[in-house]
Amino acid sequence: MNQIFLQFLLGIMFLTIVFLHLSKKNFSASIAYGIQSLVIVLFFLNSFFETNNLAILLVVFLMLIVKVILAPLFFIRLIKKNALAFSVSTYLNTPLTIISIAILTFIAHYQKFSPLTSIVPANQDSLSLALSAMFLSLFLIINRKGALSQILGVLSLENSIVAFVIFAGLEQNPALQIGIMFNIGIWILIATIFMSMILKHFGTLNVSSMNNLKG
Amino acid sequence: MTIIILEIQIILTPLVSPLCAGVINKIKARLQNRKGASIFQPYRDLWKLLHKDEIISRDASWIFRIAPFIVFSITLLIGASIPLFTSFLTNTLTGDMLLIVYALAIGTFFLALGGLDIGSAFGGFGSSREMTLSALAEGGFIFSLLTIALINGTTNIFAIANADIFLHGKYLFPTLLAFGGFLVVLLAETARFPYDNPATHLELTMIHEAMILEYSGKKLALMEWASFNKLFIFLALWVNLFFPIGLAYTPGVITISMGIIIFMIKIFLGVLLIALLESSMAKFRFFRLPDLLLISFILNAIAIGLIR
Repeated sequence: MNQIFLQFLLGIMFLTIVFLHLSKKNFSASIAYGIQSLVIVLFFLNSFFETNNLAILLVVFLMLIVKVILAPLFFIRLIKKNALAFSVSTYLNTPLTIISIAILTFIAHYQKFSPLTSIVPANQDSLSLALSAMFLSLFLIINRKGALSQILGVLSLENSIVAFVIFAGLEQNPALQIGIMFNIGIWILIATIFMSMILKHFGTLNVSSMNNLKG
Repeated sequence: MTIIILEIQIILTPLVSPLCAGVINKIKARLQNRKGASIFQPYRDLWKLLHKDEIISRDASWIFRIAPFIVFSITLLIGASIPLFTSFLTNTLTGDMLLIVYALAIGTFFLALGGLDIGSAFGGFGSSREMTLSALAEGGFIFSLLTIALINGTTNIFAIANADIFLHGKYLFPTLLAFGGFLVVLLAETARFPYDNPATHLELTMIHEAMILEYSGKKLALMEWASFNKLFIFLALWVNLFFPIGLAYTPGVITISMGIIIFMIKIFLGVLLIALLESSMAKFRFFRLPDLLLISFILNAIAIGLIR
């Protein structure tokens, strides 16, 4: 695939994380995560076309099933089952959240990070963007009060790390990728069950309201 | 040849702008399973208004009388000063980015003054809302244009339209961010959803319509025509500065004709997007609008930050 197209895809990924910060509805956040994962799948598909390694194609299929189809489906089912249409609020209000997003993006593009972002000098801009995606995902986990949004934050952090690794040319053995996929699949399953239990027990996914611990 | 091109450049905005509004209304009607009015209905409305008598309040001063002419003239001037279908024209007098931004701001200022002048409650709150939104949208507007100005190293919009798209992909992402930021500003400045509902006169929601509520006849026609022109100008800036594809780079009958056709297709796509947005979303509460405009501002600020 063309380098410009890959940069464009990375831009889409970055924007999906910005959207996750701004989204007020859990359904659209789940869809945004699906799109973000699809971008990662396309990155791996590009690796397959470059290397013709069939193991990478297997990773692509696994990723497509687990991250693009199953994960959003699990979340959407959970949302529908428990009527969780609207996400729980954030610790910072929208203007402060947006300003924080801008600051984190600038920090990732700051010279101090150049040892990290100039691993492949030709991809410096893309690596800076992937690094800012990582920062924004971490910020999403910290800033959101809803457990579902926090889980989406963890998953998008994983996607951002994968994107960074791809642009840095540090792709690992496909066997390791398959192992990671298996882990993520199991993690999503456990997280969904755990969220159902939290909802049953506390009646909310708002982590700041979970102070009435009952036996 | 240049004179003919300049003449087309001058008349294109007032000639085509009502059609854009007509097409948006038609698409929205079709999406609501209605037949809808003809796409030429805005022309008929303008014609009707231009032939009607006016009723002017006895409290109206010269500002109220002169505002429609100023607002309309400014849109004509800007329409003639921006790249529509060509990029080879050199316009150093009125083609500067900041001049365009502030000329549009003068138009908004007089529109708000016209609304306030009568002293009616509707005009007052309409002007107040309009100026609040304009002040907030101004930052996003300037920063989105500043992004492409920094990329191309010039503030002349004809020079920007003449440059390579995204400079061979080097600035793809900043351009896309600025493009998105400009869309948010476009909707705010042209009084479309989710900022304003151009089809309603409900006092809780209207902004633009409240300001021109006291106008009638020819002056109302000018105000309506100016708002059509403004929509067309913003669409033209949006499609030609961020994606300067298909512009005529040399004078010639075929290149100019192709330039006009491609420009009209791009405008149609912009109009289609607006109609789809308006059919798929509700108007936002007024106090949520600053958040949306702040998003535009920050997107553009990030875009500028990404330019090395």
